[in-house]
Amino acid sequence: MNKEALYLMSRYRATGLAAVGAVVALVAAACGGSSGGSGGGSSGGSTSSSSSASGFNAAVNSTVNPSTHKGGTITYANSSAPDSTDAGNTYYAFNLNFTRLYATPLTTYKSCPGACGTSIVPALATTLGVASNGNKTWTYHLKSGVKFEDGQPVTSADVKYAVERTFDRAVLPNGPSYFATLLAGNAAKYPGPFKDKKGNLTAITTPNATTIVFNLNQPFADFNYVVAFPQTAPVPPNKDTGANYQQHPQSTGPYKFQSFQLNKQYTLVPNPEWNPAWDPQVKQLASKVVVNLNVNAADIDNRLLAGDIQMDQAGSGVQAAARARILSSSSLKASSDDPVNGFMWFYYINTKVPPLNNVHCRMAVEFAANKTNLQTAYGGPVAGGDIASTAMPPTVLGYTKFDFYHALTKPGGDAASAKQQLKLCGHPNGFSTNIAFRSDRPREVASSQALQASLNSVGIKTTLKGYTAANYYGTFAGVPNYVHSHQLGLLAGGWGPDWPDMYGWGWALFDGQAIVPAGNANISELNDAHVNSLFKTLEASSSQSTRNSISAQIDQQVMRDAVMLPAVYSKALLYRSPSLTNVSVNRYYGMYNYGILGTKG
Amino acid sequence: MSAPLEMTPDAAPEAVLEGAGGAAIEGRSLGRIAWLRLRRDKAAMGGLVVVVLLILIAIFGPFFVQNPNTYHANLINATFSRPNGPLGGISAAHPLGVEPITGRDMLARVVVGARYSLLIGFLATLLAVVIGAIMGVIAGYFGGWVDSVIARAMDIFLAFPLLVFAIALVGVIPGSAFGLSGNTLRVSLLVFIIGFFAWPYMGRIIRGQTLSLREREFVDAARSLGARGPYVMFRELLPNLVGPILVYATLLIPTNILFEAALDYLGVGLIPPTPSWGQMLSNAVTQGFYSVDPMYMIIPGVAIFITVMAFNLFGDGLRDAFDPRSR
Repeated sequence: MNKEALYLMSRYRATGLAAVGAVVALVAAACGGSSGGSGGGSSGGSTSSSSSASGFNAAVNSTVNPSTHKGGTITYANSSAPDSTDAGNTYYAFNLNFTRLYATPLTTYKSCPGACGTSIVPALATTLGVASNGNKTWTYHLKSGVKFEDGQPVTSADVKYAVERTFDRAVLPNGPSYFATLLAGNAAKYPGPFKDKKGNLTAITTPNATTIVFNLNQPFADFNYVVAFPQTAPVPPNKDTGANYQQHPQSTGPYKFQSFQLNKQYTLVPNPEWNPAWDPQVKQLASKVVVNLNVNAADIDNRLLAGDIQMDQAGSGVQAAARARILSSSSLKASSDDPVNGFMWFYYINTKVPPLNNVHCRMAVEFAANKTNLQTAYGGPVAGGDIASTAMPPTVLGYTKFDFYHALTKPGGDAASAKQQLKLCGHPNGFSTNIAFRSDRPREVASSQALQASLNSVGIKTTLKGYTAANYYGTFAGVPNYVHSHQLGLLAGGWGPDWPDMYGWGWALFDGQAIVPAGNANISELNDAHVNSLFKTLEASSSQSTRNSISAQIDQQVMRDAVMLPAVYSKALLYRSPSLTNVSVNRYYGMYNYGILGTKG
Repeated sequence: MSAPLEMTPDAAPEAVLEGAGGAAIEGRSLGRIAWLRLRRDKAAMGGLVVVVLLILIAIFGPFFVQNPNTYHANLINATFSRPNGPLGGISAAHPLGVEPITGRDMLARVVVGARYSLLIGFLATLLAVVIGAIMGVIAGYFGGWVDSVIARAMDIFLAFPLLVFAIALVGVIPGSAFGLSGNTLRVSLLVFIIGFFAWPYMGRIIRGQTLSLREREFVDAARSLGARGPYVMFRELLPNLVGPILVYATLLIPTNILFEAALDYLGVGLIPPTPSWGQMLSNAVTQGFYSVDPMYMIIPGVAIFITVMAFNLFGDGLRDAFDPRSR
């Protein structure tokens, strides 16, 4: 998918120290951390799919508070900011979820609780794509009468332009790079419409105003998933302001931008031009949607529990303090959900920064890391997830269980094997490198310190380098030149599958072709010819059992290459605000479905 | 007619005044007088004792405590990320409990944190005192346009948005510069920032003292002997300013310690996993641990409080002791 769901800590921090008086007062007030509380969260939750459910995990497989009531304001808060509010320039899972409120792509995911939430359905298109030419040509027909928020009609040329503009990675660095890899014609060299005003992407043709045809350079059975990305949401060329388009994208969804203050807040109001037939998976219920940015993460949890805001936009779960409160209180626990959200948290091990260019040094890192401490840093078994030993999560088709580096048998780390690998790579006394992480994410701050401590015990000395989440992929860790020049050997990361099979999970992470100069997700810079060819074979095959076996081979080869240090198969403890209606976890996004929310008030 | 008083030729010329009990009264230096007055001030002596204790703990403590960076996963309830047991996991092995999430020993972290806090506080104060005293004496002695220039410089430094500058500077300076790297570089940066911007505090006081001192006779005497400016300033005036310098330096130390804690709190202090009081407070407050494990906030908070209080009491007492007009 997209990168991981954000859990964020803000850049805003209160200055000053707690005075002793405040300390005393807080002791008196806050000694309510009652012990107990089972905290065991099964993601199964309620088995009945009755439409109105309640209790712990009720929203995982059913809809809580179903309602068609219109009106009210839904307030979101985010401890950082989206990588961009421009739907064509984003990759964070929560934003792929949220941008459906104002950007309608060709296809989308079904808004239904449970497993059906991962099925792909048409949105702007009338039906799913019609494949021809051995899955190399895909034709979509647009619904008629679709307009932008200013009344301008949407044509297939606007969809083609939306895809074309994403080719300029200097202006729009975020977002997946499937189109650049799959499209035929001049896609490999096309620099985008900002630099090439006369040319266009020859692989996309628009025979008439409601038809668009994609010509691929390889058979690709999963192309409907590729066009589900909001990169296909139409953009009017005459209103495209490039990097500034995010301030007011022209809406084709139920809401449009009313105001935008960079890094502070943006507000959406209902789009009067919108017709529900254009995307049946989203609803226009609330009369205002407000998103507050750069709010302190613990503050978000407090406000959420108090009812001042209704949703944490990042959707990756509450912080430690709120987790303790929720799990210890039966009433709060009944308003929360703990889904397995299909993500993984891990550390990339870069293959170009010495001495990690030697596989044995990378294996030493894999053995030495204390997986239990990492798990605790990410939130423990309930809010963090189970310890991971593979490079793909169990929710992706083709998963097999294996454990090359004793993560499950020796979760405290295997120092002996690590030292052996250090000898093999020529650094018997260890080596030095840097750990990059997002400093506004408390869990990554904690996990990188845990990693540092466990690597230190075998002689691998590391320096921690923190960066802001909003720029992590676009400017720092996702820019190979920066990684090399700053010797970032280990980099924190998280990922959710772009779609639920190995190609959708792993291509962007492990295929050599996926490496891009900015917004890169193959941060290890793995370019293993065997892995690359396995991905091609995977996509050409239509038998699910063959695909599963190829997926397992890719997984195992990647782990043998030791380019990823897996931490946990992620779970997230989410709090369900009682004033919200139509609350359900969408299994694809791994968090609450933002497209259908309404409010009682 | 009575005979004149006889004086034996080798009688001692000094008059010896006989006190009530017949004991000789010696002349006292200013320092001795101050010490005797200070001894009577119980609060100040208490502060002094604590200050000495803190310095001893900072220097020798780290040798007697556990490794502050060792994780103890078995002492943490992973589901809640908090220490097992009440009061933050206090036990015989861990007298002040352990940190949430990591299980690191709190006593060790507080003691090692004391080392950095006091080190930076002292060094920054030293820098501020040196710059401030020199600038203050120059400004006070010369007067005129020199004084105006220095006074305006002081105003500028006092008005500077120091926290913002500190954050920006730490972000811009790379991992290694000026031949230093890692925590050594950070400590130097912090000392520079805090000390360099605290000199006006000392400068103003010394300038005022110099203004009154330069009219004294000993300055005239020195000048009439041919002494030039630098000699008068550094060999006549400064030694007489040791008193106020000492007092206000003692009062400046807690301010600088608090400042360092504030910078740690904002994330521009020492590099993790180095323990520091400000960072512990920051984690406790901004991640909301204060509601789950209040001891994690109370312990560093109390440590800072005790340190600042001790220095303030001692400094106040010292100032009272030097000031002949008080009491």
